[in-house]
Amino acid sequence: MRIVDLALKDLSQILRDRKVAALLVLMPIGFTVFFSMLFGGGGSAGEADPRLPIGWIDRDIGSAPGPLLRLLEASDAVRPVVLDEKGSQTAVGQVLDGKLAAVVTVPMGFQQLLWTEAPAKLQVTVDENSAAGQTAYGAIDMAVARLLGAVESARLSAEAFETSGGFFDDASRQAYLDDAFSKAINAWQDPPFTLAVEQASVAASEGEGEFEGNAQASPGLLVQFAIWSLIMSGSTVVLERTTGAMQRLLTTPIRRWQIIAGHALGMFSLTVAQELLLLAFGQFALGVDYLRQPVAILLVAVALALWVVGLGMLIGALAETDTHVMMYSLLAMFLFTGLGGAWFPLEGTGAAFQAIGRLTPTYWAMLGFQNVILRGMGLSSVLTSVAILLAYAVLFFGLAVWRFRFE
Amino acid sequence: MDLQKSLDVALKDLMRYARSPFVLVMMFGAPLMITALIYFAFSGPGGGDGGFQLPVTRVQVVNLDQTTAGFGGFSAGQVLVEFLQSEQLSNLIEATVADDADSARAAVNRQDADVALIIPADLTAIAFTAGGGTSLTLYHDPTLTIGPAIIKGLIANFLDGFSGSKIAAEVTSELLAEDGLPTDPSMMQSVAAQYAEWAQQVGQQRASAQHPLLDVEAPPRKVAPTNQLADLAGKILAGQLIFFSFYTAAAAAQSIITEEEQKTLPRLFTTPTPRTAILAGKFIATFVLVLGQAVVLTIASALIFRIRWGQPLTVALVTLGLVAVSTGFGLFLMSFAKTSRQAGLVMGAVLTVLGMAGGLFSSGMDVLPRTFEAVALFTPQGWAMRGWKLSLAGANPGDVLLPVGVVLVMGAISFAAGALTFRRRLA
Repeated sequence: MRIVDLALKDLSQILRDRKVAALLVLMPIGFTVFFSMLFGGGGSAGEADPRLPIGWIDRDIGSAPGPLLRLLEASDAVRPVVLDEKGSQTAVGQVLDGKLAAVVTVPMGFQQLLWTEAPAKLQVTVDENSAAGQTAYGAIDMAVARLLGAVESARLSAEAFETSGGFFDDASRQAYLDDAFSKAINAWQDPPFTLAVEQASVAASEGEGEFEGNAQASPGLLVQFAIWSLIMSGSTVVLERTTGAMQRLLTTPIRRWQIIAGHALGMFSLTVAQELLLLAFGQFALGVDYLRQPVAILLVAVALALWVVGLGMLIGALAETDTHVMMYSLLAMFLFTGLGGAWFPLEGTGAAFQAIGRLTPTYWAMLGFQNVILRGMGLSSVLTSVAILLAYAVLFFGLAVWRFRFE
Repeated sequence: MDLQKSLDVALKDLMRYARSPFVLVMMFGAPLMITALIYFAFSGPGGGDGGFQLPVTRVQVVNLDQTTAGFGGFSAGQVLVEFLQSEQLSNLIEATVADDADSARAAVNRQDADVALIIPADLTAIAFTAGGGTSLTLYHDPTLTIGPAIIKGLIANFLDGFSGSKIAAEVTSELLAEDGLPTDPSMMQSVAAQYAEWAQQVGQQRASAQHPLLDVEAPPRKVAPTNQLADLAGKILAGQLIFFSFYTAAAAAQSIITEEEQKTLPRLFTTPTPRTAILAGKFIATFVLVLGQAVVLTIASALIFRIRWGQPLTVALVTLGLVAVSTGFGLFLMSFAKTSRQAGLVMGAVLTVLGMAGGLFSSGMDVLPRTFEAVALFTPQGWAMRGWKLSLAGANPGDVLLPVGVVLVMGAISFAAGALTFRRRLA
């Protein structure tokens, strides 16, 4: 009972301040929305064209909008934005500013010279040092290859026609080439050999679980803000010690272990409450299907909260002031969430980074959550994560108890 | 004399900060640590090779393609398997052959493989017969994006060779038929074969520096980038530098509240030192502290991460703007806090939210939604970030006058508001 009383005291101390309550609720939700939009989830699919914008400047005056533009419009990686004279003048600046992934400038006489031995080259302004630039270049290159392919198809076709019957004159040959080219371009809109991409997920097979920003941002921010909440809960321990309240407590019949347990229970309650709030927000506002396996998700959330409590108690034990608590919490948050793949998937990182990342509890929390929401797996898929999180909880709590100071 | 007193107050504060390992770690250690973390994440084990380390993707290939004697023993599926297992792709792909689609999918489900590629039974048949089409299946772990995207790009290019051959043959066949000419299958095969030969040549040209149709140029940066990682590190550290400058300034301004709580400030008021001189001293200390932080971080990061911050005068201008706005804003922010406990919370919350809105945590992303860019312009952090990004891109001093001007005005207004509130409080 004393433990519960102490925990309730901590909670009431934290939640009494409306600003604090707002920090615990509004900030995590704000961040989750922000990052889900940033990672491309946006909350509702198909709301905006997610393809990279590339500028299109057509200086081939007199020609109709080219077949290349059609091929680029069919790309699933880029979307051409036709620039007017004013837009053309600022196009390169827009690439520098990151507003456009690349700019394609069609030179004068491009379509006419396309059929010659020395075609006029397209000018592509692109920063190949950037990921967006590399993607854009790949898409432009592929569209250009298809354009050249259409020209070659028309040529080869004309040669075959000549072998079979021959042309009356140059005009009929040109008409044939134009026709063949046009048919080839049309055929490239729906090429005969395609690649279908499927995601390995029960959710995907049911047509509702595509990898979206939400599936990274929602559990990632949940993990991050579980640590962030220590700014509030950790400071209650420090405040109690620095104001002498803890010393006064020791004069009462409460035992030392009960004081530690009471604070731990307060932290745990606060962390779990915040997690539940973020899980509900993810489920109902962002469409992340946590309820697919509610027991599995709850297990991961509780195990994560227990580790966070261990970390919080350690911070409470080591910190001397409120400011220390805030900074230790922020540092722990940056370190664990960055390394553990809560900010960005570890897939793109180097081998050493991945190896270190897998040693963090946050990695196992993310794995547990994503096994359910992305891979559509069941309860058994989170058991390893839960076991490792619990082991970390014991380790951190043990360190906290070892270093805990009552005075 | 008031100036002397202000300088004494500033010196006392600065000495206190300099003696605190905690302050030093937060000022210099934290931003460098976060940048190093991300730099390390995207670099090789050595971290200094100047490029991103692309992950090796484990691919299980299921080749169901059936070939018959009618196609001269040719198997498009086998060609694709050999392509994926070729030496040239060994640093990107680890391709193994699986017996059937179910086992390959199961391997991906178990995370024993990243990608399963299923080649359909009719791949060669479709390539050699008129009409129709077929689709290969790329099955991948949903948490992976980079590896599957690389595989997708490679296979799409490979398939375009087959598509082009088929399109060339079919266009020819269609046009000959329209003119009532006979369509000889061997002629169509010849067209397809010639196209395939041409596609191979063009493919080599596309991969070389001599692209047949593209003239590629980088946007004209005034400062040549050292490498991709240094570019990324520059953008990330600029975000961290701004975030922690605002934090340092606010933490320094918090000393007014702390001194008030510790009763050293009321004691100071009993001396013949005007309140304005004390506030000015606090301002000078904060200004010098943040300036020192910016200078140390830019120099250290240039040496550690090889970041080229830009033209010296431009860097000086954006640094001045950052120092001024963070100092003013720190005082303004702390004027809302009544106790040091509140100050910590306000600092953490407001600076994090404004940092997020100002784009400090997304500074490494190349293309951001327009809404984010618009929101950033309502925050001092967003304008500061704009200036630093321009500087990193090699902008001239004249190019950064707008963002620097905006942050100076924001800094002056917030300083005036903060100073006024504190003067009233301390009166």
